[in-house]
Amino acid sequence: MANTRQFGDLATQLVMESRRSTQTDALLKYNDSLVRSLLREQRRNERISGSPPALLIIQTAVSRNKRCLLAYHSHRIDRLRDLYWAVGGALPHILNNQDTRSKLSPHEVDYLRQYNGSVMEFRSEFSHELDITANITNPPKDLHVLVHVVRDCGVIQTELGSINFQKGQRFMVRRADIEHLIVQGYLEEVS
Amino acid sequence: MSRSSVSAMNWEAQFKSDTSTLIQSGKNGKSRTGALALDSDNEDQDITMASASESDSARARPVSVAPELYIQDDESPLSQLTKHWMNERHAPDILPAQEELLASLLDHIRRQSEAVQLLRGEPSASEEEHIRIMLVQMEVERVKFIVRSYVRTRLFKIEKFARFIMTDATIQTRITTAERAHASRHAHLTDRHFHNSVLQSLPETQSHLDDTPIFMPPMITKPDESRPVFVHALRDCPPIRFHEDLTLEMKRGHISLMPFSFIEQLLLRGYVELI
Repeated sequence: MANTRQFGDLATQLVMESRRSTQTDALLKYNDSLVRSLLREQRRNERISGSPPALLIIQTAVSRNKRCLLAYHSHRIDRLRDLYWAVGGALPHILNNQDTRSKLSPHEVDYLRQYNGSVMEFRSEFSHELDITANITNPPKDLHVLVHVVRDCGVIQTELGSINFQKGQRFMVRRADIEHLIVQGYLEEVS
Repeated sequence: MSRSSVSAMNWEAQFKSDTSTLIQSGKNGKSRTGALALDSDNEDQDITMASASESDSARARPVSVAPELYIQDDESPLSQLTKHWMNERHAPDILPAQEELLASLLDHIRRQSEAVQLLRGEPSASEEEHIRIMLVQMEVERVKFIVRSYVRTRLFKIEKFARFIMTDATIQTRITTAERAHASRHAHLTDRHFHNSVLQSLPETQSHLDDTPIFMPPMITKPDESRPVFVHALRDCPPIRFHEDLTLEMKRGHISLMPFSFIEQLLLRGYVELI
């Protein structure tokens, strides 16, 4: 089977993965082996010599493969950034999640760390007035919110002083103080 | 949208009464009660309400702020920001940064929050005053939401076009220093990620990010100026020329769909808004 493979088959597989990821709206595991075999193919193609028409086809395959590789990685970091913003810029929350962590390549972990650094620097411009990493999907309707603690999250500073959130308890707290905890799944809104 | 703009009105009224109180107290050296009396003459309940929480901050603030700019303007800062926010969200390109407007609103948010903090601590406050304080807090939260969304919309575009921004001088004039720093960091970061994950393992001849093979889109993402946008004319516009014999003259209130590139100039001059 491997002998009848066409130029660009592997790259198509890789791009299909990005596509599946978009369609299922999920981050798939980083396909290290496919990326590696594609890189090997690229190096092999580089060494091939032949008549000009053959070279033209190889050259086209080479640039297409390269583009597909970059597109795959670019699509993944776009997804990672979405993930990052969806939890309100809480990087440890992503990296401590074993399930997510196992899907990332080491370079992607580095990328997220550095991206986080860059965003934090940008955020410090506004730190006196507001937190730009907070939720922007729904405009606030109420100042306070009744929450149910799903997971212990320790002592949190709120406007009412510090509260120790323990599993099973309910609190009426100011939304702005604990919004990030709702986003990260520690608290649940009781409606 | 309509909901938020309705309640946004209170906040605007407050900003105006805030600044006018400031001028009054600055010029005549009026006391706190004087400023309050000035406001309660006004029939609008919202403004009176606002002054309760505002008077404290007016006292604490330096008088050297120059609010004339906004008083003469027929639009309040918040409705201006709301407009810029909507434009920014609909435009494919990055629009000029509204640094002054944003800075004045952020200052206002900070002062309001400080005033609220102060007033909350006052034990003599009545039930009614507490409700007023709550309304002010609510309004502050909603304004913060718009500011946040505005900033994030720009940030999203800046990240998307980071590499283009680094190569193009005109777009750099439209963003703030902080935004440019972020764009530069982001472009660098993405390049390095590509390099580490892909390019370094490729043969030397393939390890560049600026190939221009034929029949392929360029590697640098640029804003798509031809994307269609809905345009709402705020006043009568000069004619827009699409090509040789097709022009469109938009009257005030007219709504039309057209590519962004045709409307960009009018948008920058404030003739139209995007919806």
